Amino acid sequence: MVERPSILQLRQVTKQFGALTAVDHIDLDVAEGEFFTIVGPSGSGKTTLLRMLAGMESPSAGDILLKGRRINDVPANQRPTCMVFQSLALFPHRSVGQNIEFALKIRGVSPEERRARALFLMRQLRLPEDYYAKSVTKCSGGERQRVALARALAYDPQILFFDEPLSAIDYKLRKTLEKELKDIHRETGKTFMYITHSLEEAMVMSDRIGVMRGGRLVQVGTPHQIYTSPRDKFVSEFMGEVNLIEVRRGANGRVSAAAPAGEFSAPVLPAGFEHGHLVVRPEFMRFLGAAGEAENHLVGRLYNEYALGSRIQYQVRVGEHVFVLERLRQQPFAGHLDQEVLIGWDARDSILVGD
Amino acid sequence: MAALAERSATKPARHGALAALWRPGPRHAIPILLLLLVGFAAPLLAILSFSFAPSRTFDIWHLPTLENYRTIVTETYYGSFLWSLGMATATVAILALVCYPVAYGLSKLFGRWSNLVTLLMVLPLFVSENVRLYGWILFLIKGGVLLGSLKALFGIEAESVLFTPGVIVFGMVYVYLPFMLFPMVLGLSMVPRETTEAARDLGASRWQVFTEVELPLAMPGIVIGALLTFVLAVGAIAEAKVLGGQSVIPISHDIEIAFTYAQNWPLGAALAVLLTLVVGGLVLLVLGRLDLDRILGRR
Amino acid sequence: MGAAGPRWSNALIVAWTAAVVLFLYIPSISGLLASLGASRYFNFPIAKWGLDWWGKTFAESEIRTLLSTSATIALIVTAISVAIAFFGALAFARYDWKGRSIYQKLVLLPIFFPQSVLGLALLLWFTALGIETSWQTAVFAHLIWVVPVATLVISIQVYGFDPALEEAAYDLGATRWQVLKEVTLPVLWPGLFSGALFAFLLSWGNFPLSLFTTGADQTVPEWMYAKMVAGYTPRVPVLGTVSTLGAAILLLGGYGLILLVRRARGGAN
Repeated sequence: MVERPSILQLRQVTKQFGALTAVDHIDLDVAEGEFFTIVGPSGSGKTTLLRMLAGMESPSAGDILLKGRRINDVPANQRPTCMVFQSLALFPHRSVGQNIEFALKIRGVSPEERRARALFLMRQLRLPEDYYAKSVTKCSGGERQRVALARALAYDPQILFFDEPLSAIDYKLRKTLEKELKDIHRETGKTFMYITHSLEEAMVMSDRIGVMRGGRLVQVGTPHQIYTSPRDKFVSEFMGEVNLIEVRRGANGRVSAAAPAGEFSAPVLPAGFEHGHLVVRPEFMRFLGAAGEAENHLVGRLYNEYALGSRIQYQVRVGEHVFVLERLRQQPFAGHLDQEVLIGWDARDSILVGD
Repeated sequence: MAALAERSATKPARHGALAALWRPGPRHAIPILLLLLVGFAAPLLAILSFSFAPSRTFDIWHLPTLENYRTIVTETYYGSFLWSLGMATATVAILALVCYPVAYGLSKLFGRWSNLVTLLMVLPLFVSENVRLYGWILFLIKGGVLLGSLKALFGIEAESVLFTPGVIVFGMVYVYLPFMLFPMVLGLSMVPRETTEAARDLGASRWQVFTEVELPLAMPGIVIGALLTFVLAVGAIAEAKVLGGQSVIPISHDIEIAFTYAQNWPLGAALAVLLTLVVGGLVLLVLGRLDLDRILGRR
Repeated sequence: MGAAGPRWSNALIVAWTAAVVLFLYIPSISGLLASLGASRYFNFPIAKWGLDWWGKTFAESEIRTLLSTSATIALIVTAISVAIAFFGALAFARYDWKGRSIYQKLVLLPIFFPQSVLGLALLLWFTALGIETSWQTAVFAHLIWVVPVATLVISIQVYGFDPALEEAAYDLGATRWQVLKEVTLPVLWPGLFSGALFAFLLSWGNFPLSLFTTGADQTVPEWMYAKMVAGYTPRVPVLGTVSTLGAAILLLGGYGLILLVRRARGGAN
């Protein structure tokens, strides 16, 4: 995927608001036709970055190149890019059709041509044809999403930017729309650049993901790379619930921890590793019948259990330290609360991250 | 949020104070600020400089003198000041009691009817206050609507209450009612229904809900209403002239007399400066503590 | 109706509100009654009813001059104040800028100021500048008080305005001017309309500022005041009633218009 030519290149892009550095020397290449998502918690600078790419802010330093051309000083209304806003920003005084046609009207396209294009996009986005004259204020959440996307597509942008457009939508509809968006990406073949605070959302849709923190891009990779080899504790925690053990280099290629106290087998220690975290995902941690069944084991107490639909999650306390384990619903753990349990994992199922 | 400040600042960056002025915010503020500079600040400065001019002169190009202020202190103008302040205080107190139930109804009870009630309450604002006060004369005067009806229907002959200090306060309550009511509605609509319900749920009595939750949360609106009413009432002139029949001379009437009959502009200016100090001090003190975005925008 | 308290206290609030509304309208009703008497003097109950004084009042050329002066002032004040207040409201509520909080309070100051003192201060200022007072200076005086009110009225609408709408239009290729014409003005229209309505009515009904700044010209409220001080004439209740009814029609009509447009647009916003 990455062999495709770059459409967008960021070179040391930085944005400062007074003393605050919102975006800090970012380098990034986005390939043509790629679905690239930037994930980060609020305040990580992702929105500011996107606004710079769309032309609504100008960088304090660095260059933004679109197909090799520097576009730092090209205002938003002259950039061949378009944004879908978090609030969607549908024009409340216009009908669905008029919203979609807006860019074409600005460009001076004839009414018949505009209408044909709007109706085509509405078909593509599965909006009924009679919605053309409907007021956008009367549309449902999912319909409004589609209108906003159609309006941006009508502009025929080279890149589409998305500023968390699904964040205010309820879970079930969001899941549907995520998939729809990926289908639209496939149908149009355009470059999509999406930002969200939900890694789960990013996983579903993206070709590649960039994780942002404190204005910096801490890791860029495919969903698989990010999932299986997070670069540090922040990225691994961002992935959802994980078990973390603070460790330092021990003897014989093992690591040692203070809480829970012990020596553990770990993946191969990188050269110069002194201190870091051992990450074990809940689905890789198991209940053991005997200590020998896994390379690492701990004795704890079953504290609580939570039904998560297809899976069941268990909380096990080892001293003050809390571990979570997950099993498929079909294979529940037959134990009672406060029972003493043996839990464990193999070294190859754990990830060692630096500081 | 810093990001907001930068919005639409897509013009090529300029530098220095001019650039700061040309940001979208200040840029849009320029016309109104110019208007207020020429039409509000400058006249107040003019009145200030006039107040230091020698008595009974009509231009400001003299050596400054404190003569006018001395006159004010030695003569009985403090009486007018006290009447004005006292009547304004009474007006605010009465209006607070009169308006609270209505404001509560408008923000919590009347639902879609509240638009209509609001409209009915706004309407009188647009008719000149002296006309409306004159309506009260027609109502209250001997042989007017009230006393005439009493006499015709029941044969009762009563004295008119017109031309007393009490009726001046009555007139102020009447004229400034909307100015207390609407800020109060704004304030009360800042009280989320859930908070009062939560307080009830936690065992508070109706009175405790009122004093512990409703009143503190609605306070910014109530304070604005009280301030607005007080300031307008202190400077009021028509009520005393129309209804009061000169039984009391409020300070603004003294000022007008100095400017018109007495032809002593510097004295009038000095009185106006003192009134402005009282009013301005109070307004700045209160406004300085309020977050207008929260009150008006409810974001 | 909601259910915030027991039924009897809700009923009390409704009754109290009705009493307050009645209280607000007693003078207007009294004025209406007085205007309908046929006699030169007012005595209640009215012995002989008639529209004689309405006819007489409007036949007088002096009163037609008054109405035209007042209307001219109010219309000019409306046009200028909506223009200034539109920008003022954007600075007040749309943009976030350093000094905005001070600006907001500065704008409010003329509202929180005794109008009679403001009128005198303006008179003094005009005199110091050597400007002779006339209806034109009254326009300026009205602006000082009307523009802040209109700014406040429009600001309330602007607070509900999503700045992303402008950005979206700009992003879709619109120029600054097109953004203003296609998005900002149409979306803020109801606020601008209310602002204009307020501006017109406040200027039309203003007395304290007009009193000191119209010079030889006279507005309707000034004339009525002069007459009511000089003694009774039924022309005053007639003009007063006309003012009240005019304001009512404008306000209700304007409000109805906003409702209609809102309904046509689909309720939201």
